[in-house]
Amino acid sequence: MATPKTQITDSPAEYSDTKRAPLGRVRSTGTPFTRTIGIATIVSMATLAVFGLVLSPADVRQGDSVRILYIHVGTVWIAYVAFTVTAVSSAAYLWKRTRSLTWDRFAGASAEIGVLFMALTLFAGSLWGRLSWGKFWVWDARVTSTAFMFITYIGYLAVRGLGGSHQQRAKRSAVVALLAVLQIPLVHFSVKLWRGLHQDSSVADRTHVTLQGLMLFSLFVSLIAFSLLYLWLLIHRQRVLAMQDALDDKGLDYALQQRRDEGDL
Amino acid sequence: MLSIGLLVVVLIAGGLVITKFLTSSLDYYCNVDEVGHKTGCEAGRRLRIQGVVDKGSIASNNGVTTFDISFNQVTVPVVYDSGEPGGLFQECIPVVVHGVMKAGVFEGDDVEVKHSNEYDAKNKNRIAKSTAEATTCSQSK
Repeated sequence: MATPKTQITDSPAEYSDTKRAPLGRVRSTGTPFTRTIGIATIVSMATLAVFGLVLSPADVRQGDSVRILYIHVGTVWIAYVAFTVTAVSSAAYLWKRTRSLTWDRFAGASAEIGVLFMALTLFAGSLWGRLSWGKFWVWDARVTSTAFMFITYIGYLAVRGLGGSHQQRAKRSAVVALLAVLQIPLVHFSVKLWRGLHQDSSVADRTHVTLQGLMLFSLFVSLIAFSLLYLWLLIHRQRVLAMQDALDDKGLDYALQQRRDEGDL
Repeated sequence: MLSIGLLVVVLIAGGLVITKFLTSSLDYYCNVDEVGHKTGCEAGRRLRIQGVVDKGSIASNNGVTTFDISFNQVTVPVVYDSGEPGGLFQECIPVVVHGVMKAGVFEGDDVEVKHSNEYDAKNKNRIAKSTAEATTCSQSK
């Protein structure tokens, strides 16, 4: 992002050399570990499709629309996890003894994935709402607070893109992340705090679980499958962000070198 | 620059969502038995009321659907003039109706179905369910 564009036209050949291998020999974000997770993700997603669409029963009141649950709950679970990871990584960056830009990149990568999954939650929930409530959207406490949290994290990503050094980006966004994460309990308990159209939770923080048998198991498969997908995306995205930062630094070094060369003339 | 633009959009969107939420009041509805008894649930104003659709009360005629909804032993007749309510609308299910109370009848223009957090396999308890079916709704919640 801070790449000096003017330098590219100055000497395209040289610049493209540095661009081709910004991190020396590292050119792929895949490793045996991520490939293993990737395969496990594919297998668990296929399992989820079988359980969610075929093996789990239709609901006595909602019929087949209940199957949206396995996407809706799985994706929001990841959004919560992702935003929590963003907050923890941000705290790790802010704490001087563990300060490292790697934490910042994990925070950013995790927030991007969280936003993506929260969008999926809202989308799946909206379809479900149309089928059960009769409305794609209502302004009740749960739906509204979720939409607000979604917008907040888009704001967080915008803050990350404001410019300045990597350290400035890291510090600014870390503060935002630690404030934004406070919305998770608000969103989660919104169904208890206020009357709304959205149902109360069926499994989380309950002594009497209101989801049983294969339905509960399919939800469990969903949580596993989406968690694996999250892990895979997180590691790859963090590595891509590291390469981007390295490319920025390299571009800056290159620009400085150009200026020094000019001075030598 | 893109980020600053995005931030502005985010702030505006956030403001809109909060405004929408606050103007619709934090609690989404009044229960049927609270109409005229609880602040914010005055009978003269536009309300959203929640209750369970009474068994056998649904009737449909020329795009007008009438039914009764009850909560805590208080029943209100509803006239809904916008055709068939959507979603899972049926008897014995909790609904939220938007509208105004006029002469003891709630004139609704919007119906939303409030399904509970309870799930159950479709064909599992068919026998138990059918014996339990009577003239009233067996309320699980």
